Amino acid sequence: MADPLRALLALLCCLALLTVPAAAAPLDRARFAADLCGDGAAQVRGAEGLVQAGGDLPADDLAFAGGLLGALAERRLSCPADGALLLDRPDAPEGHDAFTGAVRPAAAARAPILGLRQRAAVETARGTVALLTGPDPAARAAGLAVVERRIATVPAAVLDRARDAETDAGLKATITGLAQAAALSSPDPARRRAAIAAVAVSPSGAAQARLAALKNDPAYAADPAFRTALDTGLATVSRAVAIGDGLAVVYNGLSFASILFMAAAGLAIIFGLMGVINLAQGEFIMLGAYATYGVQEAFRRLAPGLLDLYLLAAIPVAFGAVALVGIGVEALILRHLYRRPLMSLLATWAVSLFLVNLVRVTVGTQNLQFVMPAYVSGGVPLYADFVMTWNRLFAIAFAAATLVLTLLILRRTPLGLDIRAVTQNRDMAACLGLPTRRIDRLAFGLGSGLAGLAGVALCPIYSVNPGMGSGFIVDSFMVVVLGGVGSLIGTLVAALGVGGANVLIEPISGAVAAKVIVLVGIILFLQRRPEGLFAVRRRR
Amino acid sequence: MSGAVQTALAAPAGPARRAVRDPLVAGLVGLCLAAAAGLLVAPPAPYLVNALGQLAAFAILAVSLDLVWGYLGILSLGHGLFFAIGGYVCAMHLLAHGVAVTGVLPDFVQFMGWKSLPAYWVGLDHAPYALVLALALAGLVAFVFGLASFRSRVNGVYFSIISQALVYVAMLLMYRNDTGLGGNNGMTGFPLLFGWPMGSPGVVTGLAVAALLTLAAILAGTRLLVGTAIGRRMLACRDDETRLRTLGYSTTRLKLGIWCLSAMIAALAGILYVPQVGIINPRVLAPDLSIEIAVWVAIGGLGRLGGAVIGAILVNGLKFWLSAAMPEAWPFILSGLVLLVVLVLPNGLLDLVGWRPRPTWLRGAR
Repeated sequence: MADPLRALLALLCCLALLTVPAAAAPLDRARFAADLCGDGAAQVRGAEGLVQAGGDLPADDLAFAGGLLGALAERRLSCPADGALLLDRPDAPEGHDAFTGAVRPAAAARAPILGLRQRAAVETARGTVALLTGPDPAARAAGLAVVERRIATVPAAVLDRARDAETDAGLKATITGLAQAAALSSPDPARRRAAIAAVAVSPSGAAQARLAALKNDPAYAADPAFRTALDTGLATVSRAVAIGDGLAVVYNGLSFASILFMAAAGLAIIFGLMGVINLAQGEFIMLGAYATYGVQEAFRRLAPGLLDLYLLAAIPVAFGAVALVGIGVEALILRHLYRRPLMSLLATWAVSLFLVNLVRVTVGTQNLQFVMPAYVSGGVPLYADFVMTWNRLFAIAFAAATLVLTLLILRRTPLGLDIRAVTQNRDMAACLGLPTRRIDRLAFGLGSGLAGLAGVALCPIYSVNPGMGSGFIVDSFMVVVLGGVGSLIGTLVAALGVGGANVLIEPISGAVAAKVIVLVGIILFLQRRPEGLFAVRRRR
Repeated sequence: MSGAVQTALAAPAGPARRAVRDPLVAGLVGLCLAAAAGLLVAPPAPYLVNALGQLAAFAILAVSLDLVWGYLGILSLGHGLFFAIGGYVCAMHLLAHGVAVTGVLPDFVQFMGWKSLPAYWVGLDHAPYALVLALALAGLVAFVFGLASFRSRVNGVYFSIISQALVYVAMLLMYRNDTGLGGNNGMTGFPLLFGWPMGSPGVVTGLAVAALLTLAAILAGTRLLVGTAIGRRMLACRDDETRLRTLGYSTTRLKLGIWCLSAMIAALAGILYVPQVGIINPRVLAPDLSIEIAVWVAIGGLGRLGGAVIGAILVNGLKFWLSAAMPEAWPFILSGLVLLVVLVLPNGLLDLVGWRPRPTWLRGAR
């Protein structure tokens, strides 16, 4: 690993040396103006000279040239014997002197005409100026589009300068790509090899395609140095892209797994403790998301300045609200059904039907609109094509925090001790004086609250509507059963496994087939090991 | 079918006597036969006939689930799968029959750009083959899934969850358009039934009568079955499987046999249902529908075959009526009904009547 790194560093140094701007030579303004006022050949000479020197010219020279070029292209240039006049509109009686800015009559002056043959050169020069000095990304992008048409005539220094000065990330990437493409197809072999090395420094899928296309270039067969450079560069880029894609798969799998885990963690506690299949868990997630929406609206009304913080403020609200709903459901319905788990399954299905339709009637069926705070929008490109998006990182961090907190509650608090005792042996726990019914209720509240938290984590990623919960129920039950009932670690491992498998299979055979394969795999696995990966030993 | 009942009435001995003691089933069978005769003699408006036929198909489906849930303690949340197998094979038969008679390819085949029906449709235009195929396919799927599950003693809520995942997987698969079975649009536009134009009053009445007669036959047959020694073994297995196994009975074989029988009955319901509604699509495989079947059984009365029929007809009758009259209110009524039954009437609506020849408090349905 050290050698490629060292080579990279060396390359970087060389590049840095190459791109150090030469001492900015000022533009010969009078000569430039004279060229534009001259005949067609002079105009082309002036425009192309500007493009060639463009990478080194100071900004005020570029602005000066831009003004003249614009006036020429729009027929607002007037050429008296001594210098040039910029008119406000074609055929205006007077204009500003290009050098001094003074107002002068244009009556006696000649107006140069831009011929069709010269227009391309002049437009390229205008585009170069716009690209280098445009006030906003849109203007620079327009300039870039013009330059792109005659990219072969534009020197690398111009594109390098534009790239280094660019602040807009998307435009910067476009300029980089264009500069690389231009250098790669340059007639100068040394420059091409340097370009290949430069492409290899910032690998991406696009760069890989660009390099791979060069294999069909005649120089690849003819020039051994070129072939070596290309093969080395391509190998570097391919490896980097593969690593980047691998990272992206891991990242996506991790974020999918954390959502699965969030949805399944509450189920695992409830199912492990009481043997109750809570088919309303998906709807509890939905309620958590709606609670988040409520918090957002409250912030919008009461404290618009703090709106960005609503997602954090929603965490305790969603947990508390959904936990209360869960405790209510337990107290009103499930309490009577502990001896009949299959009936409690139907009862929770009825609750889920009720909740979905209640939300549908009171709030509506449309997707809720969420404000995306800065900390969950956008992302940072890390390596090759791998972009770490903040909203998925939010979900992953959220799931990790939930895991740690839940483990702490289960392992380090009196409630957790009670829950574990009842999970392992309900009758013995009751004999020892534990209030099992009260523990059931609290644990059900905890499990429901976790579903509410999952709802918060989902807001920046999924579309939130009354039916959103039904998509989770089968997956999360598979995760709970696969992990082993009553084992939070098992749930975590199962979620990671299912999430990873889904993401791994998806590019090979499509999303639906991936889901089918994973579910069939779980069904088969459970035939071999019905108690799941991590079975809690218990006596009944 | 009435033959079976007559036999039961004529020879009040052994299992048949117990069947006679079930006036609910006998009454329902009689009602089905009477309704079938009534439809033939003086058919009411076609939409009513059609609704009656659909209700009968749902009732058959409910009986199939009650057989495994009420009598064996196995709650399947995937019975929609077997219903859909019957329905899809039936739809394939109707389309293949249409192609054989008219030569016009169905819409979805044309959408896919195919020139003919896929190769595995061969022979499906023959009704007996299609019927055998549907039942065999449902039985086979049930056998494989049941064998794997029962051998490794997957039961209780685990079995429910896994069967739900199974029907969910099937739904995802059928939503794909390249299966050759219509994809997400499903199959519709059936032209003919045994050469008769679909939707003509005669065909509608015929289908409804067939569904009612089948329901009567299934009801009587399953009631006879649960009256035999096998039926008593089923109840024993439901109440304490370990003890039954310790006594030397193979519970795996028992459960597997009844499970496959139940799957085939569900497929029969699908076969009867699809020509009546004129469409089949993957929504039949939605997990919600499979849960709803369990709801019919629970509402009517779990563990009594007549209760399953009453539950299916009551819930679906209400649904037909209310989803037209006040569609907003229907889900609330359904969930309220479920909660009421689950909390207050543990044996379903039959508790209201106070009719209880044999207490079937479900202490065993773990």
